[in-house]
Amino acid sequence: MEFKLEAHRIVSISLGKIYSARGQRGGLKLHKNLLVSLVLRSARQVYLSEPGCPPEPPPAAAGHPEEEPPPHTAAWAAEEPPPPPPQDEAGRDCQGPRPRRCCCGENRGGCAGAPPPPHCPRKRSAGERGQAGSPVKKPRREEEEPPPMPPPPSPPGEQEDMETGNVASLISIFGSSFSGLLSKEPKGRRRPPLDGGEAAASTAPAEAAAEPGQICCDEPVLRTLNPWSTAIVAF
Amino acid sequence: MFGGWGGGGVLTLCCSSSLKSAFFLFLPPADIISTVEFNHTGELLATGDKGGRVVIFQREPESKNEPYNQGEYNVYSTFQSHEPEFDYLKSLEIEEKINKIKWLPQQNAAHSLLSTNDKTIKLWKITERDKRPEGYNLKDEEGKLKDLSTVTSLQVPVLKPMDLMVEVTPRRIFANGHTYHVNSISVNSDCETYMSADDLRINLWHLAITDRSFNIVDIKPANMEDLTEVITASEFHPHHCNLFVYSSSKGSLRLCDMRASALCDKHSKLYEEPEDPSNRSFFSEIISSVSDVKFSHSGRYMLTRDYLTVKVWDLNMETKPVETYQVHDYLRSKLCSLYENDCIFDKFECAWNGSDSVIMTGAYNNFFRMFDRNTKRDVTLEASRESSKPRAILKPRRVCVGGKRRKDDISVDSLDFTKKILHTAWHPTENIIAIAATNNLYIFQDKVNSEMH
Repeated sequence: MEFKLEAHRIVSISLGKIYSARGQRGGLKLHKNLLVSLVLRSARQVYLSEPGCPPEPPPAAAGHPEEEPPPHTAAWAAEEPPPPPPQDEAGRDCQGPRPRRCCCGENRGGCAGAPPPPHCPRKRSAGERGQAGSPVKKPRREEEEPPPMPPPPSPPGEQEDMETGNVASLISIFGSSFSGLLSKEPKGRRRPPLDGGEAAASTAPAEAAAEPGQICCDEPVLRTLNPWSTAIVAF
Repeated sequence: MFGGWGGGGVLTLCCSSSLKSAFFLFLPPADIISTVEFNHTGELLATGDKGGRVVIFQREPESKNEPYNQGEYNVYSTFQSHEPEFDYLKSLEIEEKINKIKWLPQQNAAHSLLSTNDKTIKLWKITERDKRPEGYNLKDEEGKLKDLSTVTSLQVPVLKPMDLMVEVTPRRIFANGHTYHVNSISVNSDCETYMSADDLRINLWHLAITDRSFNIVDIKPANMEDLTEVITASEFHPHHCNLFVYSSSKGSLRLCDMRASALCDKHSKLYEEPEDPSNRSFFSEIISSVSDVKFSHSGRYMLTRDYLTVKVWDLNMETKPVETYQVHDYLRSKLCSLYENDCIFDKFECAWNGSDSVIMTGAYNNFFRMFDRNTKRDVTLEASRESSKPRAILKPRRVCVGGKRRKDDISVDSLDFTKKILHTAWHPTENIIAIAATNNLYIFQDKVNSEMH
């Protein structure tokens, strides 16, 4: 269990580093970011392999009554199908458990085939734990606690919805290997997530004020997506 | 030969230069020293800093009048090597920080060195002028044309001595060779070519040709998503102009032979030590990344530095290093905090002494370590202003990890991780070392044994 918490913490620190790397003078440091991504992968693997991790849901995800996967979410979760418009994505983020769950299922299928699938399963598990009930909310809160500034107060339910939305978007970002941050999506998609992120920010100011250091941040990660991928593509 | 390292040891290092830190003391963080390098005779010592400046020190010739002042290093020249630039295509600023300086072997009265930042390598020529012609017929002392009517006789201009002036000029600029950040340069023993390495590629340049270079190593994967390792350092063999080595972030070394093929993607030898499974942690990969590689002067061995150890490799043995020295193993249990504060990414350099019998590397708290390969003894010393008054003798330090603690020991938890010694250099033939501690430069000399044994 201890290892799981440690792994969780390391994941959040790593993501914070990747985020802050984009603003560094002199451009992206390839070596450092590669090492950070390797640590991220190790931590995720430990997190998954620990016995405390709940079993993976079946792809259908039909077990939980409240998580019937809506068809549009399936489309959003998968990488190959054409990208949905940004507004829909932002809306789906806030829909609560359903998109994330389904995303897990979808991405799992997608991930299994992809060579190293590092990040997706970890995130899935983090989200699932949030689902299971109040005792499992603890890990997520712990995730939030490490950053220096606590998240702004907001109704717990709404926050959890934001969280699961964040997790879902993170899953899609880390969908495949090291450059999961580099989306396989067509170029056109890279701009929409940014706008989608900002749209979400305008609709949920409490959420938008969440610090970049926090792991489950929607906007900062989405904002990261664009410059990061630009940097890597430029390389 | 270096003898005992204890209190009365043969090696008694003392601070040789009163100038040691004065030059760097009052300056802002831009003047953090980023590289230190002696030239081939040890007469000159170059330092580069984060602000793109290069400062060259020259050793004063020994004088019988002041025997204690023999061999002090004083500032010889200062110049701005690199300026910050902006890459408009990628919207990225290019830092002016000098990553590496390498001296060229001296071939005439002038000295030359290569300095590089993340993208551009420059060849600088350093010349002295200590005479100036006087007695021109057509112009006066200030260079203004004379009124011809005042010229009544002809004279031959003569060279008169003047105050020494050191002139530094950029002779070549090797630009646009690298997409990624240049981490090392190395001059070939043929004195005609040199190589520059970035994260994914190594280029071979001719010193006289700036508009093209040959790519000799390319480890960029076709799909960047498959990237698993980067090049961290590289160096030419000191004697064989066809051999060079490069280290990777996975802890391996590759020796390449340029005679084998034009593109040296296939190594001739791969030096790799299997990981110790009992030491596995989240950070195993980071701490195994090699931050520096140096051939021994003999060319027989290579020295590598990773986060916690220095290792000596025999060129003839690829399976494991012949010697491993723990630099600061007490940090192994603190890797998570060091990851958090980014210290785990610090790139320490390493150095051989002139006879390849002692190796040196830096650590935290302004400590640096020396390992005698023959006696297997090691010492920890500190570069600090308090302990480094001129002619003061350095006292060995000790880090205690719990258990019995002696007076003057430092506990692991009170180490200052902002004071790191990343860059060190050893005089090519004598027991003189240059230690860069953030924005201070310390020069220490072995008082008793100035000459190498």
